[in-house]
Amino acid sequence: MAQNPRPTTVLESLGEELIRIITPVSVCMLLVVLLVTVLIDDASSSSETVTSIATIAYDETVSDSSWDKFVGALLNSLVFVVVVTVVTFVLVLLFYLRCTRFLKIYMGFSSFVVLGFMGGEIALFLIQDFNVPVDSITFVLVLFNFAVVGVLAVFMSKMAIFVTQGYLVVIGMLVAYWFTLLPEWTTWVLLVAMALYDLAAVLLPVGPLRLLVELAISRDEEIPALVNEARPVTPHDSQGAVGERRVWRDRRNENSSIGNENPNSNSNLGEFGNVDNDSSLVRAEEGRIPDRDQELSAPLLEHVANVQPRRQEDVVASESLLLEGIGLGSSGSIKLGLGDFIFYSVLVGRAAMYDFMTVYACYLAIIGGLGVTLILLAVYQKALPALPVSIMLGVLFYVLTRLLLEVFVVQCSLNLIMF
Amino acid sequence: MEASRSNSEIPNLNPSPRRNPIPIPSASLRWPTIDGPLGLSEEESVSYARRFYKFGFALLPWLWALNCFYFWPVLRHSRSFPRIHHYVLRSAVGFTVFTALLLSWALTFAIGGEHLFGHVWDQLVMYNLADTLGLTGWS
Repeated sequence: MAQNPRPTTVLESLGEELIRIITPVSVCMLLVVLLVTVLIDDASSSSETVTSIATIAYDETVSDSSWDKFVGALLNSLVFVVVVTVVTFVLVLLFYLRCTRFLKIYMGFSSFVVLGFMGGEIALFLIQDFNVPVDSITFVLVLFNFAVVGVLAVFMSKMAIFVTQGYLVVIGMLVAYWFTLLPEWTTWVLLVAMALYDLAAVLLPVGPLRLLVELAISRDEEIPALVNEARPVTPHDSQGAVGERRVWRDRRNENSSIGNENPNSNSNLGEFGNVDNDSSLVRAEEGRIPDRDQELSAPLLEHVANVQPRRQEDVVASESLLLEGIGLGSSGSIKLGLGDFIFYSVLVGRAAMYDFMTVYACYLAIIGGLGVTLILLAVYQKALPALPVSIMLGVLFYVLTRLLLEVFVVQCSLNLIMF
Repeated sequence: MEASRSNSEIPNLNPSPRRNPIPIPSASLRWPTIDGPLGLSEEESVSYARRFYKFGFALLPWLWALNCFYFWPVLRHSRSFPRIHHYVLRSAVGFTVFTALLLSWALTFAIGGEHLFGHVWDQLVMYNLADTLGLTGWS
């Protein structure tokens, strides 16, 4: 009676945390796959390419040779990575100059655009495909509601965790869908390029994301970021622990309120902290460039019911707040950035354009890669890029499935052996 | 260790941490939000509920609905949080009224179709409007 009952086992609490981080990722991927299968009928529609910054160097047509396509895709990806790097450095600069308010407004605006315009266009595609007799007044009203409340939920005020997570997943889904409209070779090479960029930006000492995090640590501030933080597994023990957490949150509030008033700071800690961040939403003409949202993470903490030592660990832990990738939030829950969501979903969406077999293979590859990243996170205790392992595995599995597995499965089916 | 083990079994049967942790039946509910201990305290809740209620008047019934969703425990146990309940109840009423109006209009439009509205239907319906304005031609 006197002792605090600990959370049942590490395995259970860890498992629950894993589920809480994998569920939104899976939901996002599922939604993108559904959208892709519903809206994109055949391969010929992919010949219309979207003019965007990702295809500025080279526009792929069906008639080019493979080598041309590959070189063109490389050029495209290079341009895109350069743009992303530049924008990230601009973000670091702005953060250094403490323009947090501007960043927040910009992120809110870009989210509104994503939710309102991209969401609206996809809704229009669906309406046209299914001939839904919606009138324009209702449509505009519903879309307006959806977009404005989305911006409120993600950036401006605290709302139910479920709602905030849902909106993040929707934003990720919309951006990922637009990425899948790029030409095929460009998409694949872009994914690999972004994985490499992620690796460099987080781990190299000169990487922009690492700089950002170190800045945040040195100032003891929260980084504005679009982050999906898993709802923390509250310890099942008494209210004492919960009270501790609130005190911890308030204390952090005081710390982070120095220098910048950040109404999101108190939302970052226990639960759904989506502070805004970069989102390099570079729009070029009418072409839409989806964001490259940065991720926020904090190192892995031991998820212990003992609050006292945890508080110290939190202080230490928050010092190595690294930006991109995956990490553990200051409350002890795992954080995964929105950019990771987007690129995983792009991979799976692209795989869905070929066949469902590749979807299953790529999904398993990504989840496996995510698991590996989490293990590495536990080992290294600092924030890691979540893209490289999963993307590499995903691309590998896609290629292998397309080359080897498909032939095998088709032949087996045709000869009525299996499947 | 056995004692602590069995103690930990019992809270294990509790529902997900979204619910309010109320071990003592006589204690009043401490958490007015649906997130329980992860949500807002009561003082903050009042200001949030009031803000959501007021913003909802800018043609945002969805915000009213989310207000009700977020403060669901307040709706269920209205006695414990009189101030919050005041705003949440009005949000619920507002949402219901607005939705009823919107739904009736949308259904009339959809079901009535051309023979009710005539020529105007073609101009108002969304997929025609999208074609006319070229909204879906993003290329």
